[in-house]
Amino acid sequence: MRVIVDGRSYEGRVIDLTGTDVSAATAVESVGATDPPIHVDCPVPGDAHEHVRRLPPETFDRRAALAAAARALGHASPARSALDEARSELADLSAPSVDVDAARRRVAETGEKEERLRERVAELRGRLQARREIDADTTAVEAQLNEATSRLAEAETERIAAEQALERAEAVARDARDSRERRLELEDRVANREREIRRDLAAAVWDRFRAAIRSVPGTATVGAAPGTYDGDRVTAALAVARLAPLDAPVVVDGLDRIDGAEAAASILEAPVIYIG
Amino acid sequence: MLLVVTYSRAARTTLRNVRRTHESAVVRELGRAALFEETELGAFLALRLRAKHGDDVQIERTQPFNEFAAVREAVRDAAEAYEDREAASTPYVKFAAGTDHPDPDSMRGTDL
Repeated sequence: MRVIVDGRSYEGRVIDLTGTDVSAATAVESVGATDPPIHVDCPVPGDAHEHVRRLPPETFDRRAALAAAARALGHASPARSALDEARSELADLSAPSVDVDAARRRVAETGEKEERLRERVAELRGRLQARREIDADTTAVEAQLNEATSRLAEAETERIAAEQALERAEAVARDARDSRERRLELEDRVANREREIRRDLAAAVWDRFRAAIRSVPGTATVGAAPGTYDGDRVTAALAVARLAPLDAPVVVDGLDRIDGAEAAASILEAPVIYIG
Repeated sequence: MLLVVTYSRAARTTLRNVRRTHESAVVRELGRAALFEETELGAFLALRLRAKHGDDVQIERTQPFNEFAAVREAVRDAAEAYEDREAASTPYVKFAAGTDHPDPDSMRGTDL
């Protein structure tokens, strides 16, 4: 591995950047990047590296990290083919989109219009009646009433048509929900298989993890059964870094429990960029 | 009440979060569905879900079911009588044959 900082070149499996003003974040960002802030020449980082690229890690998902390490060591889970199957079925499944919104809006609008016209007709009828009672001229009101009545009939027809259209759209939407239902089942199955695979893979390297925990600084206890871990995430991350085959460098940033760059590399059994 | 049913993991997660933060507006939780109070807040929450997840959210307006108003007596009687049958293995079709109880096909074709 080769790192160039301010025109100065550092080479080797262990690079100590103590004394430069390179931050851990900058170093982490530069490993495996296409447009890095500082030049780091190293092998392409794998999936396991992702979990332990910076020590101490900001966040650490122990099970996922162990699974990635197990995969890097060549382990596989029997649930893999079931996962692939569920994923491909999920990819093939398309849930049609049905526009029920527009149909709903039309029903609401035509209903409102009909209601308005119904009120108008009632009002005109009242007015007509009142004029008749005082023997006033009714010609104008009668014409208005006739017009409003025929517009009401039209509005009613529109509303009925809108309701029928909505019913049809809702029937289609109900059918479409069957495939959404199926999709949800598959999504759950994919998630379950993924969990199962992570569990299998973590179990496959559990003994190595226990051994690694004993070789890294930190107080943690690991039970014989996979998943039984009692300790801090830093210790777990150090152990995963030690057991995973890492080609790209791990950035070690001010870890009090490790004394210097060489110590870090020998504890982690990995290439290291050390930030004081 | 408003019945909200979700059809994706993302929509289900949002529904769960909504239930957690607006407990008072949620009348019942039913797995990936929930009954919301019929208030503007209930509607607002349901519509927020739909705005976020589109067709993966189904919203229905529900009302209590009154069988005495909605269902004819023959159907109610048939349900009671069938649950009282002597042999648990008798299918309803056979049970109803030769009696006044409605047959399944006629019930299927009749809206409430």
